[in-house]
Amino acid sequence: MDLVYFAVNWEAILSVDFLIQIMAISGIYAVLALGLQVNVGYTGIANFGQAGFAAMGAYVMAVLVTGGPDGDGLLSFWIAMPVAILVTMAFGVLVGTVSLRLRADYFAIATIAAAEAVRIFAQNADSITGGNQPLFGFDSSFESITEGIEDFFESALGWDTPLFTGFVVVIWITLVLGAFVLSRMQRTPWGRVLRAVREDEEAARALGKNTFSYKLQSLAVGSFFGALGGGFLAMYFGVINPNNFEPAITFLAYGVLILGGLASYWGVLVGAFVLYALIESTRYLDIGLSEAQEASLRFMVVGLVLILLMAFRPQGLFGKREEMVIGD
Amino acid sequence: MTDAAPTATPVPAKTNGKGAILEVNGVVQTFGGIRAVNGATFNVERGSITALIGPNGAGKTTCFNVVTGFYRGNRGSVRFDGEEVFREPAHRIARRGMVRTFQITKALARMPVIDNMLLAGADQPGEKLFNNVIRRGASKAREAEIHEEALVLLDQFNLAKLKDAYAGTLSGGQRKLLELARSLMTRPRLLMLDEPMAGINPTLGARLLEHMERLRTEDGVTFLFVEHDMEVVMNHSDRVIVMAEGKVIAEGLPEEIRANQQVIDAYLGGGASEKETARTQR
Repeated sequence: MDLVYFAVNWEAILSVDFLIQIMAISGIYAVLALGLQVNVGYTGIANFGQAGFAAMGAYVMAVLVTGGPDGDGLLSFWIAMPVAILVTMAFGVLVGTVSLRLRADYFAIATIAAAEAVRIFAQNADSITGGNQPLFGFDSSFESITEGIEDFFESALGWDTPLFTGFVVVIWITLVLGAFVLSRMQRTPWGRVLRAVREDEEAARALGKNTFSYKLQSLAVGSFFGALGGGFLAMYFGVINPNNFEPAITFLAYGVLILGGLASYWGVLVGAFVLYALIESTRYLDIGLSEAQEASLRFMVVGLVLILLMAFRPQGLFGKREEMVIGD
Repeated sequence: MTDAAPTATPVPAKTNGKGAILEVNGVVQTFGGIRAVNGATFNVERGSITALIGPNGAGKTTCFNVVTGFYRGNRGSVRFDGEEVFREPAHRIARRGMVRTFQITKALARMPVIDNMLLAGADQPGEKLFNNVIRRGASKAREAEIHEEALVLLDQFNLAKLKDAYAGTLSGGQRKLLELARSLMTRPRLLMLDEPMAGINPTLGARLLEHMERLRTEDGVTFLFVEHDMEVVMNHSDRVIVMAEGKVIAEGLPEEIRANQQVIDAYLGGGASEKETARTQR
């Protein structure tokens, strides 16, 4: 009798190296999804351009630091990153100004288009961005911090840290801070107006709220996290090229949102971790398939989990069931 | 069906001659080739309860939408308290004190009742994001005031025990009450109610009318409401404005409107006038 070959490499899955790896990638998606949560979960606007905001943030930062593909250094990272964030927020407001008057689904399409425009611009503006050639040499300031953290772990705890440990510390501190500040913002009267816009824009207008302005503010906050996530993505790879910012990035961030639950910032953090733990651990599921087959299988598993989640826990891990059930 | 209105006798007209709070002049709103509102002109007296009636498709709701800034009318003039507000954005008109409700209630379903109320509180500095940092004290203090006002209103409208329930779980009538209470949080001077009695039971309807009368007497709120229930219109309004085919065809005291042949023809269609006469005499 034949035995079906099925084995899980538990040792690899439960290793610290693997944990750090998941936390690094899921951290990036969590930053992007935190911004989406402000837009989608709390304001009810379907921002599908998060990958574009990430590209904007990453490229503006990288170009300002390096001075372009042939440049020899322009600005310090500590100036370039805030500038990149501000530029991206301004871009977010611009996109919002021209397209927020569209109905929800058309707005979503317009934001995908805007994001693709950024990516394709980066692909073609060779002299500024290096085009399809990876742009590098912008991460020394950031690395000095992550290496400092790793050195500290090594000297204080005698722990031979795996790759990306410093990165993981920085990004998860950022995430916890971000989720904390956003949760606080949500409890202010400002956050209440955002939720009112999500529930019924006309009712909010009838009560004297300038809903258009609030939607722009929401987009500005969303693109702030987009740019920040783009910066982290750039630091993670150490180089950037336009392929890092395909629309799939946005869709996976939506996956995080659905898994974690709408209208919960802490859910984003957990959702991102769970989603990437799933995607990455299926790598260690050895069922005798070729590598290419397994790669496809990984996303099938993720898809199946999302479907099961929708069926049995539509509010996600941290969403409120009451809020899912109540219609208008 | 029993007549559940609180007063069986008609309320005497209380128009106190302090002039018009709302002057609508020659307002036109077209959609493609259709003129939904075709030169509507009317005044609403300060401190009055004025009914806006007319057959379906007369342009009442469209007129509401133009007056409150939800539609950008093509032509005309809308003066609120002496100031031109035609084509001003809806939120700015609301802040001036002309606040409307909707034909289909707009409860903010996935927000608790109390948040629905707090949202409408006027002059909350905390609605500007940075004021929650730099003017934290002022924002918190105002929040406490608003909270108190909200509880008083919820109590008056018998919604106090539902304050933590999601607004989406309320019944249709409760939503109407919530919407009225919520609009009062904005401290309106003119409340425009689009079919406040539609879809609610007579007991709640009667309570809604009591509230309107009380608010008018105690707080001097002016009411303009669209209504199809003739009993309510005739018994509870000081003045009646009649629209048909996008125009105002009559304006006056309820008794005058009741006797106006032009209104009866337009509103009920020629043949129906007998039926209406029979109904009002019942």
